[in-house]
Amino acid sequence: MKIVFISFAIMAFYGFAVADKLTGRWESKPSDKGNVTGVLFREDNSFEGYVNKKPFVFGTYSFTPEDSVLTFTDNGCNGLRGIYKILFFSNSDSIRFVAVNDSCAERKQGMERLIIGRVKKK
Amino acid sequence: MIVKKYIILIIITLVILFIHAASVERVPGDKAALGKLLFFDPILSRNRTISCASCHKPAYAFADTSAVSIGFKNRKGVRNTPSAMNVLLQKTFFWDGRAKTLEEQALAPIENPSEMNLPVEEALERLQKSKNYNTFFKKIFNDEPGRENLAEAIAAFERTLETSNSPFDNWKFSGDSNAVSAAVKKGFEIFNGKGKCSQCHFGADFTANEFRNIGLFNGKELNDSGRAVITGNAGDLGRFKTASLRNVSITGPYMHNGMFKTLKQVINFYNDPAKIIPNAINRDSLLAKPLGLTTIEKKNLESFLLALTDKRFAASKRKH
Repeated sequence: MKIVFISFAIMAFYGFAVADKLTGRWESKPSDKGNVTGVLFREDNSFEGYVNKKPFVFGTYSFTPEDSVLTFTDNGCNGLRGIYKILFFSNSDSIRFVAVNDSCAERKQGMERLIIGRVKKK
Repeated sequence: MIVKKYIILIIITLVILFIHAASVERVPGDKAALGKLLFFDPILSRNRTISCASCHKPAYAFADTSAVSIGFKNRKGVRNTPSAMNVLLQKTFFWDGRAKTLEEQALAPIENPSEMNLPVEEALERLQKSKNYNTFFKKIFNDEPGRENLAEAIAAFERTLETSNSPFDNWKFSGDSNAVSAAVKKGFEIFNGKGKCSQCHFGADFTANEFRNIGLFNGKELNDSGRAVITGNAGDLGRFKTASLRNVSITGPYMHNGMFKTLKQVINFYNDPAKIIPNAINRDSLLAKPLGLTTIEKKNLESFLLALTDKRFAASKRKH
């Protein structure tokens, strides 16, 4: 019984830690024009995207840690859903997006160019 | 007696040095600082009374307060002066998008007979004859004032005019849910939903940088063809660049011709464009039907728009 309980506790902790991998603020390095793009993934599954601290895209997302797939809808693209695989690198402190299915061409173009790094809390 | 004379001499010398220092223009540190000097200098107009800032008024988010601006010899402009703020992310300039870069846009008002009415070559002669400007351009560009570096300096200054500290930004970027009222939050829902505003006003500066005909062209008293003059494309008839909504509360009057004085008028227009302009030609299908906004919904939407005003403009309030 103890072993089962401990196993469940470990699995729950692992699940939480992996799901939490995405939560937080992520930002790009400045572009050649000095623009910084960022995304804030909240624990309540809402997110906000911004450029140069100007928020402009908002929506809800789900993230499956087993296959690192992000699914979301936002206030642009007429409610079309985007599905992307997230690739974590540099000790999971950087991510990029690979489109699995997104028929919103402009959004897809922007997402596939984006490489963002975790903004560590001060 | 001799000591007194020396003291007086020293005081006179100090006064002369002080006056000299005050009269010498401080050398700008970079292109943007030089651009700022130029932006506010009426040297760039024929009669030396009009600067860029004469129409792009800083207190009003670098927009003007009249439907069209008054230029050289009180000549009236043709279109409303857009805000020169938040231009960093824009892709085209002027209401008809005829300039693809800020540099391309910067020199046009100098030469426009209804604005500053000074050919750029003459403006450059003035700058070249100015000891200060020659020094400044040599320091920043390692060259004398020229067409390209003049445009570059003004554009560099304009690119610094970004605002991102409105109550809306504090709510959404900084996560302060108390930064805005419940009315603003409801207005934001309407903006993204029933109001359909975000279909055109989508982006960091609340513009998708497209050209749209919202029903302000009827070929009669509203006969500005807009983008069609540039592209020659009949489909562009009456289309104008979607304006940014940042600081919109202080950049009125509104639209390419400044025909709406208040945000209330703007919202009432979008709520039922055919009621205000019944004979519009080529109006965008997004505005084919009335929105059906209630009075309270219109008020909430207006509250949201007011929340896009950067805090530095708290003093510049307009009646809406």
